[in-house]
Order: sequence, then structure tokens, then C-alpha cells
Amino acid sequence: MESKACIPMYTQLLRVLASQQMLFRLLSVGFLLTVLNLSVQAQSDQTITGRILSADDNQPMAGVSIVVKGTTFGTTSRADGTYSLSVKPNSAIIASFIGFQSQEIAVGNRTTVDVTLRSDAQTLGEIVVTALGIKREKKALGYATQEVQGSALTIARETNVTNQLAGKIAGVTVVGSPSGIGGSSRVTIRGERSVDLNKNQPLYVIDGVPISNGFTGASGRGNLEVDFGNGASFINPDDIESINVLKGAAASALYGSRAANGVIVIKTKTGRGTKGIGVEVNVNQTAETPLKLPEYQNVYGQGNANGGDFAFVNGGGAGLTDGTDEAWGPAFSLNKNYPQYNSPRTLNGQPIDFRGGDLNAPAGSLITPIAWQPESDNLRKFLQTGNTQTMSVALTGSNDAGNFRLAHTYLSQKGIVPNTDLKRNTTSFSGGYNFSPKLSANAFVSYVKGESGNRPSISYGTESLMYLFNCWLPPSVQLEPMKNYWMPGAVGTRQAGWNYNYHDNPYFTVFENTNGQLYDRIIGNVSLKYDFTNWLSLQLRTATDYTSEKREYRRAFSTQRFPFGQFRDARIISEERNTDFLFTANKEINQNWTISGTFGGNQLLQKSDFLENNAGQLNIPGIYNLTNSRVPLQTSQSIVKKRANSIYGSAQVAFRNYLFLELTARNDWSSALTLPTYARTFGTQDNSYFYPSAALSAVFSDMFILPRAISFLKGRINFASVGNDTDAFTFTQAYNPSDPFGTSQVYGETDRLANFNLKPEISTSFEAGLEMKFFKRRIGLDITYYHTNTRNQILNIPLSITSGYNARAINAGLIRNTGIEVALNLVPVELPNSLRWGVDVNFSANRSKVIELSDNLQTFVMGSRRVNIEARVGERMGDIYGTGFARVQNTDPKLPFYDPTGQSVGQMVFASGRPVPTASLVKLGNYNPDFLVGINNSLSYKNLRLSFLFDIRQGGVLYSETQTVGREGGIIVETLEGRANGYDLSLPGNGVIGQGVKVTATNADGSGTFAQNDVKLNSRQWHTAWTAGRSIDEGVMFDASFAKLREVQLGFTIPDRIWGRVPLRGVTFSLVGRNLALWSKVPHVDPEALSFTGGTALPGIEFMSIPSSRSFGFNLGLKL
Amino acid sequence: MKYIKSILLLLGLFCTTACDKDFEVINNNPNVPTQVSADLLLSGVLRNTINDQVGEAWGIGNIVIQHTAKIQFVNEDRYLWGERNGVWNSVYGNMRNVQNIIDLATANKQNNYLGIALIWKSWLFSLATDAYGDVPYTDAIKAKSDGIYVPKYDTQESIYAGILADLAKANDLLGTTSEVVSGDILFGGGTAGIARWRKLANSLRIRYLMRISNRRNVAADLQAILNDRTKFPIMEANADNASLTYLAAFPNQWPLYGSRVGSFDEFRASKSLVDRLLALNDPRLPVFARPVERPSAVGRVEYVGIPNGLGDTPALNFNGGPQGVSRVGLPFACLVCSSPAPVPNVSRGLVMTYAEVQFLLAEAREKNLLSTGSAETFYLNGIQANMDYYKAVVPTEYNINVTPPTTYFTQAGVAYTGTSAEKLQKIGTQKWVALLFNGLEAWFDWRRTGIPTVTPGPDNLNTNRVPVRYIYPRTEQSLNGTNRAEAVTRQGADDINTAVWWDK
Repeated sequence: MESKACIPMYTQLLRVLASQQMLFRLLSVGFLLTVLNLSVQAQSDQTITGRILSADDNQPMAGVSIVVKGTTFGTTSRADGTYSLSVKPNSAIIASFIGFQSQEIAVGNRTTVDVTLRSDAQTLGEIVVTALGIKREKKALGYATQEVQGSALTIARETNVTNQLAGKIAGVTVVGSPSGIGGSSRVTIRGERSVDLNKNQPLYVIDGVPISNGFTGASGRGNLEVDFGNGASFINPDDIESINVLKGAAASALYGSRAANGVIVIKTKTGRGTKGIGVEVNVNQTAETPLKLPEYQNVYGQGNANGGDFAFVNGGGAGLTDGTDEAWGPAFSLNKNYPQYNSPRTLNGQPIDFRGGDLNAPAGSLITPIAWQPESDNLRKFLQTGNTQTMSVALTGSNDAGNFRLAHTYLSQKGIVPNTDLKRNTTSFSGGYNFSPKLSANAFVSYVKGESGNRPSISYGTESLMYLFNCWLPPSVQLEPMKNYWMPGAVGTRQAGWNYNYHDNPYFTVFENTNGQLYDRIIGNVSLKYDFTNWLSLQLRTATDYTSEKREYRRAFSTQRFPFGQFRDARIISEERNTDFLFTANKEINQNWTISGTFGGNQLLQKSDFLENNAGQLNIPGIYNLTNSRVPLQTSQSIVKKRANSIYGSAQVAFRNYLFLELTARNDWSSALTLPTYARTFGTQDNSYFYPSAALSAVFSDMFILPRAISFLKGRINFASVGNDTDAFTFTQAYNPSDPFGTSQVYGETDRLANFNLKPEISTSFEAGLEMKFFKRRIGLDITYYHTNTRNQILNIPLSITSGYNARAINAGLIRNTGIEVALNLVPVELPNSLRWGVDVNFSANRSKVIELSDNLQTFVMGSRRVNIEARVGERMGDIYGTGFARVQNTDPKLPFYDPTGQSVGQMVFASGRPVPTASLVKLGNYNPDFLVGINNSLSYKNLRLSFLFDIRQGGVLYSETQTVGREGGIIVETLEGRANGYDLSLPGNGVIGQGVKVTATNADGSGTFAQNDVKLNSRQWHTAWTAGRSIDEGVMFDASFAKLREVQLGFTIPDRIWGRVPLRGVTFSLVGRNLALWSKVPHVDPEALSFTGGTALPGIEFMSIPSSRSFGFNLGLKL
Repeated sequence: MKYIKSILLLLGLFCTTACDKDFEVINNNPNVPTQVSADLLLSGVLRNTINDQVGEAWGIGNIVIQHTAKIQFVNEDRYLWGERNGVWNSVYGNMRNVQNIIDLATANKQNNYLGIALIWKSWLFSLATDAYGDVPYTDAIKAKSDGIYVPKYDTQESIYAGILADLAKANDLLGTTSEVVSGDILFGGGTAGIARWRKLANSLRIRYLMRISNRRNVAADLQAILNDRTKFPIMEANADNASLTYLAAFPNQWPLYGSRVGSFDEFRASKSLVDRLLALNDPRLPVFARPVERPSAVGRVEYVGIPNGLGDTPALNFNGGPQGVSRVGLPFACLVCSSPAPVPNVSRGLVMTYAEVQFLLAEAREKNLLSTGSAETFYLNGIQANMDYYKAVVPTEYNINVTPPTTYFTQAGVAYTGTSAEKLQKIGTQKWVALLFNGLEAWFDWRRTGIPTVTPGPDNLNTNRVPVRYIYPRTEQSLNGTNRAEAVTRQGADDINTAVWWDK
């Protein structure tokens, strides 16, 4: 069918603009506007001068706009607050500055007119940055937003700045990376709306322009996953002035599709308002240690519960249990000496320079038995104290013509895992220039260069450290001697270790098998603003987010999975470009009515190019170069491109500055919903979608006279919808190439079935809120209720593979989110002697419910790893299903374990002493919390400041793979149950009889007769039986509730006067700590664990996460 | 206002065309084709499914039929099976591309491709139904063509009717058009390849007729094949074997070649296999097993198999530990499992061999399902063919002599003597040896014939029953629940002890 979506007029303009170099673009548009600006010159008879001062501190103010009333002619104040302006006699001037009340002053015949501006804060005019970078008075907003100041991000830091939103913003959930060192984090706002786990993250916007926040690249090619960080993890906190979180759809309607999950609006710092030249320096140094380590048993060493001895011969089964990797061996004892991998070797009675594990030792050499001792602290000793240093210097300047900020930040992080690191250099420039009182330009560019020599492999497999430590490293294995990880005389070709059947030496893993990364990212935007009149302006803007990244996976010779080594080289180029225009009008009709509005358009372009080459085996050890491949290179490449055109507008009507109505509307055209030429006969295209919003707010405290206790009362309500498209190439039914078989090329059809009739998704929401302040603002309360329906989600729903396909793209589903958010701000103490105690509490609770999926689909498996994350109709999003323990029941005679007597009902059923699994999947809980609470206390007295933030999560469950496999291996402390006295079942304390019943007879009608289980299993059998050999999940589910002492800051500001003539100002020294303490019921691991599979973050499933870390250190900030 | 007008006017000047036609180009995926020819699909289908078949043999087939046994991670050897989705995913995952070949070949009138695809479809569906019982067949793989997303499960009986009909049809189609088949990594394409495909079609028919022979009278069909060998060619020699020859080069080597030592050596020669072969002084024993590293006396070459179905601890400690138990033979070994490194492509990916055909015919003749030929000749041919096969593929540097001693065929345990039941026992036992590493075929065959005796291990967790079926994948409960439930009602409980139709 014919594509009818028409290009808006501006698209052509944008296309022309986009095709030019940025500078040329700027100049040409500037020229265009200058030409149009024909009649700016006003006749002037008299020059006035003056100074603009702030009423708050009596300091001069730069950058204040001074306009002759009734004209468009004006100027801005210089750095020292002075200005000069030509005016006609008897005219009036208007001085205005954002965040301050505008003032109108009659000039009369004066030549000096000084103006003192009163901060708007005094009239509650808190300013926030909203959609498209538009600054709005908070009181005029009909929706909920919450802000974090940049300073809160740079004192107690995290390498991934998004982690710092946890606890600070009501309704925001942050789950951090399993890998440490600035890895990805998963942020959700107001819960999950999409059953596609990847589609619940908010949009990140810098200075009004979206940036990309993808996880790129699944692992494949036999390697485990590596978390290389997602887009937002690269943002430099030092460049952030504020982060404003727009939670609902109304707040974000103008950002378009991607804003359905909320928007994180980042405003960068500028030099505006600097007096003269300013220099700001910030130094931060922290140390990181593991927050929580697994508890391992240290009573029994390597072995297999046979009660016999241990002897290392070849680490592959030639000795006594030296091929096994489990800790069911002999108990430690001072009286036992065994040959071990780290024993010295002798030849003919003479010591030689070979260890037990050096299998290339001369024939006939003997391994000397050494003491059988536990090494209870292997992991703690293996991990190191990480450290993070950040140095940031910013140079700022401003005068009446312009302003700039030039900053550089250097970050260097050493992870708690040896030989993992991250270095990040960020250079940012932000500048603004007023060509004339009407024409100004702004630019921001940030260049990030990042480098990591090694990021750890995660998940379950030989490349992952926690796979070894949590599951398969008996405490008899002393790690320290493994630091020398090559066999003598075989450096580069044969690793030495304790077990050659299954495992890599962990030092070998971290030092030789590295996952390196190198990236260059440029985020930049330039904008040009022209004020036609004092009420109408036009802004043109273009922005780019460009990343070029290289990843290198090196695997050395003798690696378990890669005996001949491996070298994998991936290059990823990704780019997002936004070009837009925006008209802004703001007109005060009369004293009662003010009308403002915007009209704009945007063109979005996303491109990425992923290219990977894999040398599956190497010729020469140690040469990591694609030319050193001993096998044909395996190449994969994927080029993705997507474009969207949008047109949007908004209108605000304010009545007497206490009643506000805002309407927005937007229409998008997306390439991703456009049928490619070959598919046009297969379906009906619907690539254009429109979505409006309306928001109303009323400041009752200005409308009515309220009791004195109520200082401020505002209500707000809004309705909004947001449309959404889908990924590029959703309409492609591809045939994918794979490795050829000799000369035969190999292709196969993709297992996902395309759908050529996809419609845009639509999410509609309702939100109502109340903001209150009492007792001169000593108590502030902001309550929000919301309700969101997300429909027509574009999903790849799983199909029974018997249909030929594993998944099919459809529009389906209705997910309903409801929730409340409460922000409570208290100032219990505020004394004239400057002692102040403030408490900020954020509370949020969200319920996402699956109302419908599609006609013949009642269950959607959102993610699966041992357990399923399933969306079932009528149930909550985030439910986890898995196999449970079968229990006796008396509800259904047709089902197993029916007990007509009712006596054993509820008891676990055992067969041969082992728990019996349920026949079908059962609900094991929901990973989403019941509610989240963040409590921040801040105390200040004169120059001292103390703050501490508790982050509490109540409810939710976690599946722990560490439990499942750590039990099998006899590694974790739980496995001491049943072997109090070794393995002899006749001794007390040995063996376990499960609490429950066994079936003694099955009656003719199918019901059972039950008796107490009396079959004793030895401890090794018991701990494997607990999960029925990784089949029963119920026994390893945990309550994921936790409380964390998320952040502590103790700061001291040295009074400027101390420095005298030394040009130091604002010197602040702080002691800082993050994630200092954790209270949780989950054993061994931090409940905030996240597992990755195929590039998707799976919440609620712990799968060998690297321990999270606490950090503590200091921060020093100063100005020159 | 005049400024706005000027701006809008200027913007208007830029607007020449009015449609975003380039969106169609942008959204056209440049990375991959949306159409390919049949040969490109054929090579992938063949490789994937044969690799899966080797993996399934290794992971469960050899174990359940007691060619191998485990010394560690013994769950599967104790019949703690859980869901086993390998066959399911392999069959249905590849059937999509088989169907694509059928569609392309039908549209392009390429009967050679069509015949090959029908044979492969038949083989794959037999794997699925033999492993699971009733499975989707008629409705299967119709999501794209007919919008069937929840296929009904067909009875095994009707599936076998379909399989046998398709194989007959394939035999008729092959060679009736002239297109040259490429991508045929199994038989090498060309006229010679087509001839071998036809032999496979008819040989598979014999296999499947015998499969259902306890439930249906298949004598006439079998006899018809044997009566007209021109019209119904069957495998005549090892050269006709349907077996994939792997390549020396990564990544198309013997699928187990890249295993970790421990993961390979967890699997050892089973006592059932070693003892039976020792009793016959069978020259194939060194092919299947390696001498223990710690024999009972220094210097002795000793083969010790481990009993199946021991618990963790007894398994690992059997005969004094892993060094006292025979490893799986060198021809199957992984790169790092042996020093010097083994050859990467000794073993073949077996689909069906001439030896099996001979054993099938021997059984059929012995049971008088055939009235022509000599059961003894078929039987002896089968043994000889299997030994010849190993003689041909095992490299000389392995120093394995697969030539039987002259007394081999005359000893009481081998000679075709005794009662009919005893003869069937001998046929079945030799067939069992010959089916080593042939996917799940030995297990399927044992379920039908009960030959040889398979005794559950002492620590088995299935109340001394050998499993006779896989349970349906767990995901079917949520993705195709109604149809699965219907099949379970018809067939019996969805557990590993419910016999399938031909086994009832």
C-alpha cells in the first residue's frame, strides 16, 4: 500500500541542515535569522547605566536580561552586574532572570538605574527543567517531578551515576551491575509497563536531547557474558548541574515514544552567572571493599564423601579424588598430610622447582604430602581493595556577551577483582554567546574516552570467577600458590592449577583471559535561539551522541574452553542524531491571563554498526591479532538504522498565576513501523501515531485564604498518552548465515515470525497529586497517585516451537500500573544559630498487573534462567514461576498426593528420602518490591554538614543459583548440615531426614497413604536432592527485602576568610561512604543482584554475581 | 507576526516532495537476505540435526542403553531426567528450514530437493515421536503458512502413517527432475548422492516398519521393498551409510572434540558393554573403550566398565576411582582428553548404517515378516559391516585392530544357532553394539524388543524401571497447554514411564 505519511514542511529544512557540517549549519542559520531580523535597531535618545543586585546576598548578577518595555530591544548585565542601555526618555525597563521575579522600573529621566531582583524562591517559584529543556516554574506543573542536584552526585560518587538515584527519588528502582567497575544498571520508574524486559528503562536526556542507553552485543561464540556498561553509565557526574526525573507520561509527552517509561532529564553545568573567571576543582578518592561475601564451610576439603583420603596426582582423577571439584572430602586435621597441587616435588629425594600441579615435571618425581589445612578465606584474599580516583577541574567564565565552561574529569578505577579496571577521561565544553540581545547560541560537547584492560566475565561457566568460588572451589585448595599460574618452562602454553578436569586457575583467568574495552564517545549539541519579540522565540538545535567502541576478548592457550586460545575483536559504532526546532511564545494577556505555547519538530536518526571477528584458535600463543588465527575467522556484522520524524506543540494557560492548564500534542512517523518495499503487499502499514496530554494544576493556597499552618497547597491532575514504535527491522523475516561447512554455505530462517500488521503501542495514564507545605515549610508533603494502561505492546511473544517458530511479533496486552509516591520533607530543627536538621523521606509502591495478553495467550515468559519470569493474565508483573516441592493436598482427588484423611495435608512429599518436585510450575513469588523507602537525614551546623541515606526495599523474592550449585559442590556453609561427624551415617549428626512424609501406599482411587519420611540421606545426597539436581527451585528462593546504608557524607566547609589573600574559595572537605551496610535475609549475596542473559538484565535471579562493594573515602572541592 | 510568516514561508520553500518514502529503504534490513535457495538451507539442516543427534547420543542415549555410564553428575544415569528438550528443539527448530526447502522445491519443481527434504522430515519426526510419543505433526510448522500457533498433537500411529507415506513418496520423486543438488553435505550431491538418498529412504522405511511391527502387520510392505530392489533400493554396503563425515578444520569437527577433559571423562565405558564385548572377545572393544590407567597388575591391558546408575560417591569410587575405569574410546575423544591429541574427525555423525539394515532384515526374516533371504546371512553381514566400518574409520596410529579372530563368528555367543528367541537375542545384541553413538536408536529399539537386557542401576531413582519416554518440554504447558493436555489424556501421564503407542 502507498505510504501516505506526509512529511511536515520542516523535515526538508532539517534534512538540508543535517546534511551540512555543524559549523556551517550554525552559521547559515544564524545568517538566515540575521537577515530576517530587519528592524531591531531602535531609536535611542538616552543611555542609562546601572547594576543588578540580588536581594538574597546583595551580590551583583550577571546575565540578567534588561529590556525596554514594549520593545524587543534590550541587553544583558555583565559579569559585575553592570549594564548600559539606550532608551527613550520616560520609558520603562523590565529586568528579568530565571528564578527571580521580574521587575518593571520606570526610567523617568534618570541615567543610573540600579535594580535589586528578588529570588523567586521566596514566592515558591522553584524552577525545574522539563520536556525539551524548557524551564518551568514547578508550581505550574500538573505532574510529578523530582530533582537531584549535581552536587549530590559528585561528593559521594559512583562510577555509574544512575546508581545514585536509588533512594533519592520516589518511584525509581535501580538495580546495579553484577560486575562492578561502572557496569550497567537497570533503572525503572513507576514499575514495569512492558512485558519485554528490555523496554522498561527510562529515556535519558541531556540538555533537552535524548542520548542512547543501550546494552550492546550479546556474548556468543562460546564466551560468557561480559557487562561492558550501558549508555547512561558513561555520563560524567561532574558535568551535571541537576537531574530531574519526570515520572509520568504527561511529564514526558513531548519527548515522544521513548518517554513512556519516564525521563531522566540531565542539565549540564554552564559558565552562566560566573563572576569573572572561575576555577573549580574536585578531588575524590575512595576505596572499595566487598560489601557481602558468601559464607563457605571450612571443615571439609576436596573429595566425594567416601570417607577416604585425598591425594593429588594429576588433578584429573589419577590420585585420590583429585579429579573431583567438590568439597565432600576428608575433614581438616592437624594430623593429616596429603600430596596436593601446591606440594613441593622431589626427584630422587632432591627438591626440584616443580609443584604438584606442574604436570610437566620430570617423570618419576614425587609429590611431597603437606598439611591438610582449610583456607577459609580464599575469596577475600583473592579479591583486593579497589580504589577509585576522580579529579575534575572546571574553568568557567561569563560576561554580558557570553559564557563558557571548560572541564576535564579523570576517573581511574581499580576493581575489587584483580586486574579489572576502568579509566575514563571526560572533556566537556559548554558555551553560550549573545550575538545580539535577540540572537544567542549555546553549545555543549562532551568527549569521553574510556578504557578498560579487563572487565570480568559473569554468569555460570569456567570463565566466571564466582562459578569457581561459590560452587567448585574446595577450601583445601590454597589459592595463593596459584598466583604463579604457568607451569615452569611452559609459560604462555600451559596453565598450572589445582584441577585439570574442569577449571581454570582464577589468577590465570583474570590476568590472561581478559575482556578489554576501548571507547570514544561524543555527546554534543548546538542551539541557536532567536527572540523575535519579548514573547516569541525560535530555537534551532542539533545534537549527536556518537560512540565508537572496541572490545577484545583474549583467551590464552590451555584455557579449559579454548585449548588453543581465542581472540575475539568487536567494533561497535553507534550514533543517535536529533535535529529540532522549537517556537516558544509567552504572552501576558492581562493581569489575570498568561498564555504560552510551543511548537516544534524533531528528526531522530539512530544508527549502529556492529562488526565482530573471531579467531577461534590461535597459531602462536600470546599473539592477539586476527592474523594469528589457525582457523578461518568467524565474522558477524549488523548494521541498524532507524529514523523518526515528529511534530509537536504545547499550550499553557495561566490564570492569576494560581491556576494552570497545559495541553500537549505530538505526532510521530517512524521508519521502524514502515513496511519495507518487499513487504508492502503483506500487511497494512500504520507508522504514524498521535498522542495528546492535558494537565491542570491549582495553587489553592494562592486562591483561598487557608489556615496559617498551611503555607502552600497545590493540587494537580493530568491525563496523557504516549505512543511508541518498535525496533528497526521488525518486519524482516531473515535468513541468517552461520559458519560454512567446508565449501557449503549455511543459512537458516530466523526463528521469530514477523508480523506485517503491527500498530504503534499506546500507553495512557492518569495521575493526581497534592503538594502541601505546613508551618512555614517546615513540613513538606507531595503525594502522587497514578494509573497507567499500556496497550498494543509490540512483543515477540513466545510460540511453541512446534509451530515452526519460537516467537512471533504481535500487538498485544494490557498492562496496568497503579501506584503511589510520597515525598515527605521535614525540618524538625532549624535554629537561628544555623543548626538545621532535615529529613527527606521517599516512599513508593507500585503494582503492575497483567490485564490481558492476546487471544490465545494466557502466559508470557518474559525471561528464563532456571526459573521463569512470567506475565500471566490476572497476575502481577514480575511473578517468578519454577518447580516447587510437592506437598500433600486434599483439594483435588485427581491430582497426586491426595490425602482423604487430611492428616498430612501441607507436608512435603519425599521419595527415597528426596523431596519430590511438583508436576507443573508453581508461583514462587514476585521479584518486585512491595514498597521502597528512602530516608535521608541531613544535619548542618555552621560549616559542618552530615547526611546519611537509608534505602529500604520491602518484599520481593530472589532466586539464588549460588545456593543451588554451592550446595552440590559442598562449598557453602549450609552443606555442613548432615556431616557433623563426617560421612559415617551411623554416627550422630550425620545424614539428613527430610521433614515431611513419604507415600506408603497408593490406593485404588489414586489417593495416597502417607507416613513420616524416615529415609536418611547422606549430606552430599541431601544437598543435591534439595534442588532435585537443579530441578526444584522452591528451596532456593529468598525474601529479597533489604535495608542499606546507602550513603553517608560528613562535610566541612572552610570559611573563605581564613584564606585571606590566597585565592581559595569554597573549600569543602567531605568524608564519604556508599553502600556501607546491608541488612538482608538473603544468604551469601547482595539481594540487589542482576543477572544477564543475551544482553538482557534479568531481575530477581542471582546467577554468580561478583560481590557488590562498599566504598568510602573523601571528597575535596574548592574554587579559585 | 511578520517574522513568523517569513520563517514559515522559507520553510515552505524547502518542502518539495511531501512523503517520507525513504523510510521504506531505511527499514529494509541490509544485513540479511529474506529469501535464499534450498541448497543453503539444506547444509544447515543436515549439520544441525546430525550434531544434535551426536549430542543426544552422548548426553543420554549411550547412557540409558548402557553403552556408557557416569562417574560424576550421575543424575541422568539414575533416571533423574527432568525435562529433556534437545530432541524437541532440534526437530522442530530445524523443521522450519526443512519446510522452507519443501516449499521452494515444490514451487521450483525440484523433485530432488523435495525428496531429500521429505526424507529428512520423516527422520526428524520419527525422532520426536519415538522420544515423546504423540507430538504435533499435521499442524506443525504452519505458523507462517496457515497461522497455526498452537498445533494439535497427532497420535503416534498417524504420524507413522505419514512418515511411511513421505518416505515412499521421496523414493518416487528422487531422480525425476534434473537439478543438481548442492549443500548435500551428507551424500555429496550429484547423481551418486541421489542414489544414496533413495537407499536411505527405503532403509528408513524398513526401520520404521519394524518399529511399528508389534502393532501393525508390516509383512507385505517389507516384502514389497525386498522384492523390487530397483524400484526400492536399500543400503547395500557401508558406502551407503547415512553418516556425516566431519572436517578436520574447526568448527566442523566431531562435536565432542572441543569438550573439557572432565566433562568428557565423566562418561565412561559401561560395565554392560565392556562385559558383553569381553565375553565375546570382540575386537570392537578397544574402539569403544580405553584400557584402565591403573590395572590390577602393572603392565596389564585391562578394560573395566562401570555399572550404570550408581550414586555419586560409589560411582566416583568404583574400582578404586576413575583410573580404574575405562575411558570412552579414542575415536570419540576430545582434543584435550588424550595425549597425543586425537584426530578431530574420526567418528561420523550416524543417521543410519548398512549394518542396521542388515540386522533389521535378519529380525524380520527370523520373525517371518519376510519370506525371502537368510536371517543368518543378514545377521552376519551386519556384524561384519559394523567391524568393517570401524576398520575403515579408525586411524592406524591408534593401533586398534578391528579384525575379529577367526573363531569370533563360530563361538556360541555369536553363531546363529539356538531357538528363535535365542537368535533374536543375538541379532538384537549385535545390533545394540552396532548402534553405539547412533543417537537414541538403540534405546528406541530396546523399548520395542527388550533386547538386550537393560538392568537399572542399584541407585536408580525410578523404582527399578528403565525410562521409556521423555516428558514434554515444560514450556508446552504454557505455550500449547490445551493440545498438550489432550495428548496426555490420550497417551497417559506425562512421565518417563508411559509407553508410547508402538511400545504398548
